[in-house]
Formats: sequence, C-alpha cells, structure tokens
Amino acid sequence: MPDFDVVVVGSGMSGGWVAKELCERGFKVCVVERGREIKPETDYTDMVDPWQMEHLNMKGPDTYEDYPIQSEVYAFHSYTKQFWVKDTEHPYEVAPGTRYKWRRGHHLGGRSIMWARQSYRMSEIDFKANAVDGFGTPWPVDYAEMAPWYDHAERFAGVSGDNTDDVEVLPHGGVFQPPHEMTALEKHMKSAIEAKWPTRQMIIGRTANLTQPTEEQLALGRGTCQARDHCFRGCSFGAYFSAVSATLPAAERTGNLTIVTDVAVHKLSHDRATNRVTGIRGVDTKTKAPVEITGRAVFLNASAIPSAMILLNSADADNPKGLANSSGHVGHNLIGHVGGGYANGVYDGLQEFHHYGRRPNGFYIPRYRNHTEPGDGYLRGYGFQGGAHRSGWGGKIDKVGIGADYKARVRKPGRWNIWIGSFGETMPRYENHVRLHETKTDKWGFPIPVMDCRWTDNEINAVAQAAADAHDMVEAAGATVLASNKGKITEAYLSAPGNGIHEMGTIRMGDDPSEAPLNRWNQSHDIPNLFCTDGSFMTSSACQNPSLTYMAFSARAANHAADLLRDGVI
Amino acid sequence: MTRLNLTQANINRRSALTGLLAISASGALAACGQSSAATEAVQEFDVLGYAKPTKFFSGSEMRALGAMADTIIPSTDTPGAVEAGVPDVIQGLASEWGDDNFRQYWREGIRRVYKTLSGETKFLAMSPEEREAVLGAYDAKVYAGEIEDTFYRDMKKTVATAYYMSEPGATQELAYEAVPGEWIGQAPISKYPKTWAT
Repeated sequence: MPDFDVVVVGSGMSGGWVAKELCERGFKVCVVERGREIKPETDYTDMVDPWQMEHLNMKGPDTYEDYPIQSEVYAFHSYTKQFWVKDTEHPYEVAPGTRYKWRRGHHLGGRSIMWARQSYRMSEIDFKANAVDGFGTPWPVDYAEMAPWYDHAERFAGVSGDNTDDVEVLPHGGVFQPPHEMTALEKHMKSAIEAKWPTRQMIIGRTANLTQPTEEQLALGRGTCQARDHCFRGCSFGAYFSAVSATLPAAERTGNLTIVTDVAVHKLSHDRATNRVTGIRGVDTKTKAPVEITGRAVFLNASAIPSAMILLNSADADNPKGLANSSGHVGHNLIGHVGGGYANGVYDGLQEFHHYGRRPNGFYIPRYRNHTEPGDGYLRGYGFQGGAHRSGWGGKIDKVGIGADYKARVRKPGRWNIWIGSFGETMPRYENHVRLHETKTDKWGFPIPVMDCRWTDNEINAVAQAAADAHDMVEAAGATVLASNKGKITEAYLSAPGNGIHEMGTIRMGDDPSEAPLNRWNQSHDIPNLFCTDGSFMTSSACQNPSLTYMAFSARAANHAADLLRDGVI
Repeated sequence: MTRLNLTQANINRRSALTGLLAISASGALAACGQSSAATEAVQEFDVLGYAKPTKFFSGSEMRALGAMADTIIPSTDTPGAVEAGVPDVIQGLASEWGDDNFRQYWREGIRRVYKTLSGETKFLAMSPEEREAVLGAYDAKVYAGEIEDTFYRDMKKTVATAYYMSEPGATQELAYEAVPGEWIGQAPISKYPKTWAT
C-alpha cells in the first residue's frame, strides 16, 4: 500500500497547482520540498520601512561571497536574500566555453515567492511555431485546447489586466481583475507608438496581484494589493499569487495534503515488473538520513533543471539513459528567454501630472516581429516590458549643488523617465542541455549539473533588432534617449543563458515518443504514472512570461491524472 | 494587520541605535576643532587588525563628517542630515558593513576633503554660511569637472541616500506611504507635489 496517492516533487509555481487540483479531487497528496518551510510572519520583510533597513540595504561583501550568482538578480537585496540559494552551497558547472546563470531559491513555494507576476497566455502562433518552422518538435496541443485551463488559472490565481485588450498574440478570457492605470506618459507613449506603427500595441501589464479579490480568494485569507511594490519580500496580505498564499492553502483545506520540507529528491523508484514509478528516494537535507516516500503516481515539479536531473540520476540497468528517457531528450532542448534590448529616456512635458502609490506592474508591448512585421535575420520574436514614471530622489542626488537649494530640487518630482526592455524567445536545440557531472556531487550526494547552452545567431539577431526598436519607440514617444544598446549587440554583450530565469524544455511534450519524453497530458510516454508539469515540459518558450502557462498545464494534467487514478488506469 | 516579528525586532534594534545616534549627533553638533582621538583610534584598530570594530571613525572624524553632511543637507523647514542620523549610518557602514578597503577609502577621503575645505579657519570652526560657501564652491568645481574627486561624490551620494531613507528624510522632507492602498497612474501634481520617498 503506497503512502500517498500522488507524490509531488516541488512546491512552487507548478507543484502547488498539482497539489491543489488533486487534493480537491479527493486524492491524498504529498508535496516534497527540498527547501525549508516558509513562515510569512518571520520570512516576509514587506513591513520594513526604509529607515529600518540596516546599512541602507546595500549588498555587503558577505553577499558577494555567499551569493555571487543570485545577488545579480534584480529582485535580490538584503531583505529578500532569504529567498535565494547560497551559491556556495549549491554549485553547478558550465561546459568549457559556455556561460549559464541559474537563479533559484529553495523553500516552500519556490520561485512563486520571488516571481515578477507577469501573467500572459501563449497564443496559437506560439503553439504552432515549432510545426511551422521545423525547430524542436511540434506542440501536441493547441490554444483552443488550453483556453479553458487558462481561464481556470487566471480566475483562481487572480490576474489584473484590461479585459478590453484585443491582442492576437496575447489572448485572454475576460476574467481579469481591474487593470492598473497607465501613467500620464505611458498613455501618451501608447498613442504615439500605436499611431506610428499600426502593427504594434502597448497594453498595461497583466499581473497576478489582486485588485478586486473574489470570494474564493478572500476565503483563502488573501487580500487586495496595497500598491506597495514590495512583492519580492513576500506579501503579508497574500495579495499576489504564490503557492504559499494560494494553491497550498487551497490544497491544505481539503485535509488531503501533506507537506514534507527539507527533503531533497535524488531518484524515482521504478518497478520493473509493472513499469510504474513507485515513489521517490532522497535525503533529509538537515540530517542526510535517507528518505523514501511512495505513491501511486509521481509528479515532477522541481523546475526544469532538477526534474531532468532526477530522471537522469534514476538510471539503472534497464534504463541506462535515465528513467522515462527512451527518447534520449531528457535534459536536452534547454530553452528560456533572452533579454537585453533596452532603451531609457527622459521626457520634459506632462509636468502637471504625478502618480500615487507603487504599482507592482508595468506596461507591455506584445510581440509583433515575424507576425505583423518581419524580423531581420531570425525566427520567432520578442515583447517589451517597461514603465514611465517621474524620477525619484535616487536619480537626483548625484548632481551639482548643496544646501537648501539641493534639498528643494530633490523634493520636487523629477523629469519623466521611460525604460523599456525586450524579452525574446530562444530556439529549441537538442545540443543545448544539462547533464549530470560525472564525479562531483553536492554535499547531499546528488550530482551537480553541468550546463551546456549557447546563444546562436537567432537570439543575437533578435536582440539586435529589439535594441534598435527600443531606441526608436522611446524616441517616438517624444523622449530624449539617454541610454540604449542599439547597434551594440554581440554574443559577448548578451547576458548569459539562464539569466532570463525561465529555464525550460528539458522534458518536453510531443506526440512522437522518439522526440519527446512527455505526451499531450504531461505524462511520460514510457511510464504511465509519471507526470511533469514544471517548465521542463515546454516544447517551445514563446517570448512571454511562462508561469501562467505552467499553471494551466499543471491544472489540466492533474485533472487528467485524477481521471486515470479514479478509473484505476494508473 | 499586525506587525511582523521581524519588523518588531528591527524596530527594537533601531530604537537602541537611535539612542546612540542622539548622543553622538548632539556631540557632533556641539563639537568644534579637532582632537587626538583619530590617531588613537587608528592605533587601536591596527592592534585589532580591523576585526569587527564597533566604532571605526574617531570622534574627530565623526565631527568632520557631520559638519560636511549637515552642509550638504542642512536643516531647513525639515531636519538636516545630522538630526536625521546620517553620520551614524555611515559610521555603521564603516564599522559593521564594509571591508578594510571601504574603511580606508572613507577615512582617507574624509580627512582629505576636510583638509581641502579648511584654510586658515578649520571647516568645523566656520559659521554655517562660511561652510556653505566653501563646500558649495568645491562641489561646483567637482561637478563642472574642474576637480576630479570620486570620493566626494560617493560621500555626497551616501549622505543623501542615508538622509532620504531616514524617517525624517522620507516622511517630512519627501512624501512616504508605507501602505498606499491603491495605485493612481495619472494624478495631479498639485495634490502630490513631493517626490516619493521610495
């Protein structure tokens, strides 16, 4: 008799959804998290005022010693570092001549605690991309199949956005909570861009912050976003979606959830006779004692690199390439997002306007390249995130002057400042992969990963055009460009792969078992009671933020697994 | 919403620090002239090998720093840098946060800029008006590129950052809302005339 109906490896963005859906369907679920438990009352730092921050919240020399990689992330500072791994304890290597930046945290809720909350659907051009241009393997589902699951994800998570938006590449189901208002300059910029380029649109960002909570959200103890923009420190109001604020409490209230923290999963157990996984094996990270947990089915939700590594590390005599890896694709086709094209400018008009509060959101310019406008030397495309605000004190203090005049100048709201930056799709290529290190392990005995991932001309050419577009759009808004990287993009200039924090693709979906480890239900082609719904399953990356897509696929796969469990198929 | 434990701990720690700040701030305001404390402090720390000194800057260095900080950000209709505790925040950075390079950079910088600003009359012995004239002239030359002084600019930025992050700097000089409650994208400047503190 297994310990649980389902063992879920990982408690973050996708694992929380799997647990919620399965618990609500009446199944006993054990979520295994390798990090520590999160206690909002002690782990969240969102109530700290600026003057309570030690040492001006500047990153100290100790930060660079312990967190040389994580501390580069925009969301990392002294009051968020509790949510990022110490790089000294969690090493990885890169193949010679390659770069990779792996950003992550080990704790209940995973990166759903520190995510940027931007929530966009994939569209039909994304689901058709591989089939059309021949890169990767075709997606086994289309947008129509996913639309109701996106509705379900948006409704439960709570996404603020504009229900009147009509953007072909960013469909929605009309279930958004009220949108954030654009600033005066953003409204002007939207008109200017859409007038100059009828092929482009600028919309308010869609963000998983509650602007008008539903009864269901209130019942989970979640409240309205207070416009503090301290989300990366955790939210005591539960106002943004995280596994800790939303999915795990929903799972917990069914009475069917067990959470096990501080257990690192190293392998899946596999029964040769029945060809079923029977559970997980790992270690208690505090005592290093072995841990075994059994279940009728297993969901991998450890994120794209660990999930693939667990399968590779589960190799045995019958499965020398790793479990669920008859295709040989586990760990391969590592994709993500490539950022980098940006522009920043100042605007002297609209002096009569300011803004109130701190919006945890920006604007978004959806992809138009290789859609309504051609791309110059690359496939697929990119979108832009950005914001336009009156500059604060930080931009004014290093200017000439002292005394009362200096104070008066800083006190007066500064010039309008625009920033936009691109986020682009990366191409699925077999050669970009993660593998187990042949000899080195972490201190718990798990092989460390070796990343082997390179940009190609496709990514470089796309960012080069994005940089030029960024420059031109800031200029079109009537602003003076202060900085941009138009004309500067080379491979060396681009930040390392992984820096987009959206690693995915390592256990991809596809109808052809020789090309993809997972079928159209996020279920292993090889082992029917094994599922994976973290970023690993992504057959292509599209260019928009992926979390909402992970949510929708997780809910769909969990309900499919629930049907199979109910019917005794698995 | 009750305050979080961590916040409470910070408040307590900060209250304890504020007590210390009040003492040294008044000390800095009252002080004039230099003492031999700086030399003593250097010797003391050399013996300790800069291992976690509780107070790195000597009394005279703190007085010099305080006088310069209060000239950059004087008290007007709102408190100035010293009243806001700025020198003590910088003392904390040097004593608890930075490494030896940071400490030396600041010690040498404070002494050098102080010396540069002092003629026959030491900067600390000048009236506020004289300090403003001397420091203002130096500041203008630095920002005009006539004098290259990276440390001075670092000091000014740090003083300003500590000031605008302080409670009086954030809540009296600028406008601060810990919990705005809502976002208004397009608001009249007449209703919100001040720069937001964060």
